[in-house]
Amino acid sequence: MPDTCTDPYLRCAFNGAAQTALGVAGSALLAHSPQGCEYLVNNAFASQECDYMETMTLCTKLCVDEIVHGGEDLLARTIREAKDLPISALFVISACGPEIVGDDIVGVCEDMQPEVKFRLVPVPCAGFRGSQYDGIDIALDEIVKRCTKNTKEKIPDSVCLIAPHANANPTWIADLDWVQRILSQMGVRVVATLTHRTPLAEIENAASAETSLVVSHDAGQKAADYLSATWGTEQVCTGIPLPIGMTNTQRWLTTLGERFDAQKAAESMVAEGERMVMATCRRKWPMARFLYRTPAAIVADATVGIPLVRFVCEDMEMTPELVALYTSQRTVRTLLERELKELGLTPKVVYGTDVYTTRKSLAEVRPRVVFGSTIERHASEGLGVSYIVEVVKMMRQFRMINREYFGYTGILNLFECVQNEWTMGWRSKERSYKAKW
Amino acid sequence: MKNDSIVFHGNLQQLLANVETGEMIPKLQASHAPMCKFFTAYYVISGIRHVVPLVHGPTGCPLYMSDFVRTRECCEIRGVPLEPTACTALDESHVIYGGEGKLLEAVKEAYAKYHPDLIVILSCCCSGIIGDDVESIAREAEKLVGCRVLALRSEGFGGDFRSGYEDAFRLILDLMEPPKKTMKGTINILGARWGPTPTEFNWDMDEIERLLGNVGIKINAIIAGGCTVEQITRAREVELNASWCYDWGQKLGDLMQERYGIPYSRTGQPYGPEATKEWILGVATPLGMEKKALAVIGREMRDVEPDLAYLKKALSGKTAIIEISEFPGPIRALSLARMAEEFGAHPVVINVHPYTIKERMPSIKFLVETGVNPEIILTKGLFKLGSFRSSKETEDELEEIVRTYDDAIFFGNAGRFPPCPVVNLTLMNPVFQPQYGFRGITNIAALVRQALENKDLPRSRLFKGMLYGTRTK
Repeated sequence: MPDTCTDPYLRCAFNGAAQTALGVAGSALLAHSPQGCEYLVNNAFASQECDYMETMTLCTKLCVDEIVHGGEDLLARTIREAKDLPISALFVISACGPEIVGDDIVGVCEDMQPEVKFRLVPVPCAGFRGSQYDGIDIALDEIVKRCTKNTKEKIPDSVCLIAPHANANPTWIADLDWVQRILSQMGVRVVATLTHRTPLAEIENAASAETSLVVSHDAGQKAADYLSATWGTEQVCTGIPLPIGMTNTQRWLTTLGERFDAQKAAESMVAEGERMVMATCRRKWPMARFLYRTPAAIVADATVGIPLVRFVCEDMEMTPELVALYTSQRTVRTLLERELKELGLTPKVVYGTDVYTTRKSLAEVRPRVVFGSTIERHASEGLGVSYIVEVVKMMRQFRMINREYFGYTGILNLFECVQNEWTMGWRSKERSYKAKW
Repeated sequence: MKNDSIVFHGNLQQLLANVETGEMIPKLQASHAPMCKFFTAYYVISGIRHVVPLVHGPTGCPLYMSDFVRTRECCEIRGVPLEPTACTALDESHVIYGGEGKLLEAVKEAYAKYHPDLIVILSCCCSGIIGDDVESIAREAEKLVGCRVLALRSEGFGGDFRSGYEDAFRLILDLMEPPKKTMKGTINILGARWGPTPTEFNWDMDEIERLLGNVGIKINAIIAGGCTVEQITRAREVELNASWCYDWGQKLGDLMQERYGIPYSRTGQPYGPEATKEWILGVATPLGMEKKALAVIGREMRDVEPDLAYLKKALSGKTAIIEISEFPGPIRALSLARMAEEFGAHPVVINVHPYTIKERMPSIKFLVETGVNPEIILTKGLFKLGSFRSSKETEDELEEIVRTYDDAIFFGNAGRFPPCPVVNLTLMNPVFQPQYGFRGITNIAALVRQALENKDLPRSRLFKGMLYGTRTK
């Protein structure tokens, strides 16, 4: 069937750009858009866990007049309205409408810069430019090019973390925390995180990082390539899955340890982590062990989905028979194919899946367990799936405390997802009677 | 009242006049961004069963709908199966060369994939600006598939949130076929969206259905609250149209009356005994079922007698400070003002945003015509940069205003901390739903009782700090 009508999992580029801009601390975001796009900004705001007492989002609320006559004057007026905000940067992000009619947000920002105390950072990123992951790449490109200062001096054993927010774990911030923690334990300094609660000053210094580390398989590679080409920043942990599960975590930590001459620290983390996971499981008894070689499907972004293949197959001993990923870049394909070959798996693979394709694939493969989201819970209705383990957004279970999937506690968090779904699956729904009291 | 933070103090009619002349419309572009036309159009269309809303635009526009409306609201809360949120996923090349060809293919593909009863093409900013002729494509596509294909121009820049649902209801009108018969004692309920009511809690619509059922009035379709295309096609066979919310149903009701001569019962929301009586009689009387309705009303009134007596005793002589916020919204708050007055309180509505007046002008005018004209206070915080809803300024101003009244009671939600009893009327606490009708009277009495009996209990320092920070004024 042709692919002209899709039911997508991913939001648009405008949303990805907003997610990226809102990861800069002490800034505000001005959406040069009609008022509806503000809701994409709100979603990004929530994803970056912004605090509305610290971060303000504004909108030019474009109407027919601005589409017909142009909205540059209105943009300038709105920037003036915001001139007293106590911020270091105002990111101006343009949506589909103003880009099609040709509003020059870069020009307006240049003209308005002398009137305001904060830095104006234009990010032309209409929704039609691609998916939210494309938007993250576009915004990272603009931000790094516009804000990073030229420096030849590198800080020894330092790193710039890239695209932590391109991750479908609904509480991805815990994954980033874990990465920052283990880097600290290895004596590696994080110069800048692109982006999450990142002060503008950190972004200005990003070029002084000796290395870069992309913490997503879905976005961020372009920024790493730019840092490498322009500032000679060496990328580390390339070509291996992110640290979800025992083997992936061991491999990732070992690679980092080797690069930063911290092998001993890495070995100790692996030993202690594996001991902790096994001891905890010995006490808590994960029910995942009863699902030995049960046919499973993984429907997720590449960041969670690719490492999950080994975790599901090796650590939990299920058999992945369907892997459906939201994205389809060459790097994603190469990495997944390498993993499948190493593991000796031949599941059905779908790149750039949408909800319809997922349902059709589930109907074809008939897995008994699906690792995915609430969408798959409903999309697999009537297909004989016993357990829907919700691990990527959107998820039915709310988390007040952020939970990582990366590292050793991440393994336990994923076991917990399986355990709760397993328990819920046993709950009596139909065969009941009323008690007398 | 002397208070530096007050920028308007008058009644609803005076505020309406100020808004109409443009005097009270805030000039800050960056402030207060409600939904766009596309959103509200989608809300309405998604309330029809087995429909494919085919969004002709990039993937950002349908995704909010997909996550929020389809998966969370419909599947998780309303027990609706997963329905598609299809999209043509326009990219840069379509923006340059046009997307009509892709749209035509997408309609055919949508029909082949989902076998829907109806396809509605919703245009977005992109397709609107590049000039894709969605109506012509819909006409062309309809010849190629086995269901109706309609097009709705719903570009986000093309109107306010009201225009989206009005245009969507107007489009639904096109599905209605000439009547083959008249369904006696049967009505349509107009103005719904998203789908049926939640499965686990009773809602306002459930109370309306219960009361109508007791009178013996049948409902053909709740448009568009989970109705089928077939129910819509038969919509002209009813004797009367009604709405549970004047604001949402008014446009379609007026159109059906103008075009097809089907009377539309114009009543406000059934909050409190008088408005509920009016609502039921407004439907039953034109159907010749007044006697039965009066009997039902009498029986229901007897059932809630203790609650009515309590509300009269509890509210008499008090000043009811009513705040318009997200939950409840402005029309509900005005209905509450009427109810508070009925129970002997003096209603003062605080901070109804002029934007919401502008957007709901026909409904507000109707309410004023029916005698709803409460005292209104607007404060400076309402007009500050950014969102006014949870601002420290409006909270401080509210607290200050409440202090000037001797015997105030606050009707709003528990996100406010005025120095008086707080009646938590948020629709986000389903435990005390419905608020409409006679069951609503019982629930509101319970909420007022909670507010008064627990007024001296400590409020949450945690929640207040969360909402407004810990700095003092």
